[in-house]
Amino acid sequence: MIANLLDGIVLGLQFGLLAGGLTLVYGLGGVLNLAYGQMAVLSAMAVVLSMEAGLAPIPAVAVGLVAGGLLGLLLDLTILRPVYRLQGEARVLLSLLLTLGMAFMVDGFLTWRYPTKALTLRIGGGPVEIIGVRMVRGGVVASVITILVLTGLLLFFRKTTLGRAIRSVIEDEQGARLVGIDPQRMLRLILVLTGVLAALVAVTRSLVTPVAVTAGFELTVSALIVTVVGGLGSVGGAILAGILLGIISTFAASSIGTVLSLIILLVAAAVTILIRPSGLLGVKE
Amino acid sequence: MLEVQGLTAGYQGGDVIRDIGFHVAEGEAVMIIGSNGAGKTSLFRAVLGLLQPTSGNVVFQGEGISGLAAERIARLGISFVPAERHLFPRMTVQDNLALGAYPNRPDPTTMKVVLDLFPRLAERRRQHAGTMSGGEQQMLAVGRALMSEPRLLVLDEPTTGLAPKLAAEAYQALRTLKGSGLTVLVAEQQVPLAMALSDRGYVLENGVISKEGTSAELAKDPDVRRSYLGIA
Amino acid sequence: MIEDYTEGTGTAVVGGTEQRASRSLTALLWPIALVGALLSLIPLWLGDSRVMMGVAVLGLTFACYAVGFNLIFGSTGQLFLCVGALAGIGGYGSAILADRVGLPLLLSILLASLASSVFGGLLSWIAVRRSLGVIFTGIITLIFSLVFGNLLLGAAGVTGGDGGFHIQTGADTFLRQTIPPYYLMLALVLIFLLTHGLLRRSYIGWAFRALRDDEVAAELAGVNVARYRVIAAGIGAAMLGLAGSLFAFTEGTISPTTYGFAQVDVETMVMLAFGGIGTLFGPVLGAVVFTVINELIQDLGQLRLLVYGALIIALFLWVPRGIIPTLGDLIRRRK
Repeated sequence: MIANLLDGIVLGLQFGLLAGGLTLVYGLGGVLNLAYGQMAVLSAMAVVLSMEAGLAPIPAVAVGLVAGGLLGLLLDLTILRPVYRLQGEARVLLSLLLTLGMAFMVDGFLTWRYPTKALTLRIGGGPVEIIGVRMVRGGVVASVITILVLTGLLLFFRKTTLGRAIRSVIEDEQGARLVGIDPQRMLRLILVLTGVLAALVAVTRSLVTPVAVTAGFELTVSALIVTVVGGLGSVGGAILAGILLGIISTFAASSIGTVLSLIILLVAAAVTILIRPSGLLGVKE
Repeated sequence: MLEVQGLTAGYQGGDVIRDIGFHVAEGEAVMIIGSNGAGKTSLFRAVLGLLQPTSGNVVFQGEGISGLAAERIARLGISFVPAERHLFPRMTVQDNLALGAYPNRPDPTTMKVVLDLFPRLAERRRQHAGTMSGGEQQMLAVGRALMSEPRLLVLDEPTTGLAPKLAAEAYQALRTLKGSGLTVLVAEQQVPLAMALSDRGYVLENGVISKEGTSAELAKDPDVRRSYLGIA
Repeated sequence: MIEDYTEGTGTAVVGGTEQRASRSLTALLWPIALVGALLSLIPLWLGDSRVMMGVAVLGLTFACYAVGFNLIFGSTGQLFLCVGALAGIGGYGSAILADRVGLPLLLSILLASLASSVFGGLLSWIAVRRSLGVIFTGIITLIFSLVFGNLLLGAAGVTGGDGGFHIQTGADTFLRQTIPPYYLMLALVLIFLLTHGLLRRSYIGWAFRALRDDEVAAELAGVNVARYRVIAAGIGAAMLGLAGSLFAFTEGTISPTTYGFAQVDVETMVMLAFGGIGTLFGPVLGAVVFTVINELIQDLGQLRLLVYGALIIALFLWVPRGIIPTLGDLIRRRK
């Protein structure tokens, strides 16, 4: 029972980190990035290729993180330019469509060029004991990294001038402009950040299970569902929803089996969305 | 300090303001008065970069600023307090004020000055801006605008939704600020209050400037008295 | 171009307005007849190849899907990301009723299509009840798609799961031959087009347009927005179910990927967006063009996705309202 709970939290933190990036971009820029999973996969491939070229794991991971950030920047500079000229729902829809096209392009290219590659990072050493439960070391390390990153993000947004400036754009874009904050620049920063986050998700996930080159869309859909349940635009909500869904998923899987538990998870998500469309921690419109 | 010439701007339906010209000298308080729909808000938005003008010039301290984006203008020493305020509702009073100083970190001295000016804000430092009353929000909006130590403070109908006592207090604060050298440009429907503060004024009607003069001159003008001061 | 996207009240954003319905019945009938005539010539050209005819049948099936989706999304702005699932309810439903339960073929198809219609209407009703906007409707229906897909896998005993469902019923009829299924599907396409055309000219069509352009105004004008949304979804879903089940019996084997989100929904949406959302013939145009494109890039393997993605980007950047409305604009501008 406790084992399931802890496993659920490990999985949930992954979901949370994954959704966090997506929800940040939506909250800040009103843009839905459906190429998110592909960004994670591309970064993972960058790590794989670096390691194959001889780099040690840690520098390879650094390459992956940089790749993720660059991809975010690229997205901002190219695909999203026409999107920024729109507002509101039109912006969301166009961003959705263009990033979907981008997702197809990246996915198509990667699966064609490296059809069998997958990223796996191994942490030496046996299982770790947490409050009496034996857990896979990789999962524990992944969770620790995730918690550190999320804490770092929290501190950044609450305590630093830049972090507050970014939050202010989410709160009231006009107000932010009035105090001299450039929303476009902030959005660019966030896109680079989410690119790095996507890479981080791929890396931490690979500590637990291999990240295959085909995982892109699956990651995006998971991120999307967790994001919506948690509340579009709320990172806290994403984390909360992630952990919740992670726990539900693990409990269901251990008692009923993967397919059925997946169904239960999806239905749970749908029910949450229907009961509270603004999300667990989202702002009621 | 601020010179506007031939400013014309509008939205998809057409121009809302036409060929507007006015100026504000350093240390002055100037008012723009007019009824609802006259174009006051559009005028300010056009001057301050929230609306792109179709033609005209805006010069601030010798530099042309027409066509610049609002966030750039904000960093040049002009602070704008719009009618809707645009505060950050889920951030604290403290954070709202701190961001006023962006991109710099808030100067403790400036912060003290602002909080002395609006003691109610000091009491509610940790309160979320969205939970405050209209009057307090107005104070916060002005306070935030002051945090960047602007040369020119522009306010669009600052007394909207305020009870008379609070409106008077707000103008009292503006008088204090003007006294310490701040240049003020205010658009107002509640003309008597604005008149008491301002040195000069312009009357905006249907998108054009119909009258201008010192406050004293305007106060004696029969049309102004009838339309805006409620004196037949 | 992009400026064609208007803020609007929510739903009618992508794709622009539905065209003015024609005045006379003949003005509706002869283009449909023309399209039918042109398309009926295809077997003369491809009839020898079973493979190519299969592709053609699939193309027409997608045309049906696109007309159904057009009715749901184009007419009333409901973003249903469960086209495949609704078609699958028809497909798997009729297959199960015919093979496992033993009902007559026609009855199975009818009942399964009815089930699709009910589910479509139900989803619409839920969306209306909870005031779900475009995006949330999309997400809920996406979840529905995923749940359906997983149910197909999970209930492998009944559905054959991953391995597929080999349908016995109708195996020895004209349904499995090379050419007749094509004409069957073509007939379906034409019937659907006629239905859509007639709807547009009716009060129902007017109600659809009214509520899509401005919900509040429509309510004030006496249109029960909820009811008409559900009606649109019900009819559209019925079309999807019908097409899905007919396709199942002509193919003979169906599997979860036959009705998967990636395989059906994405294609259908791109086809419709290309042809022109809300137009009458947009779905058919889109289906034809993309079936051809898919054949052309068949040999590229996984790179097909890349081409696809590039096409989507190009499409929504330069022809966001679809070919038919854009051509219409160009012609009008020349005058």
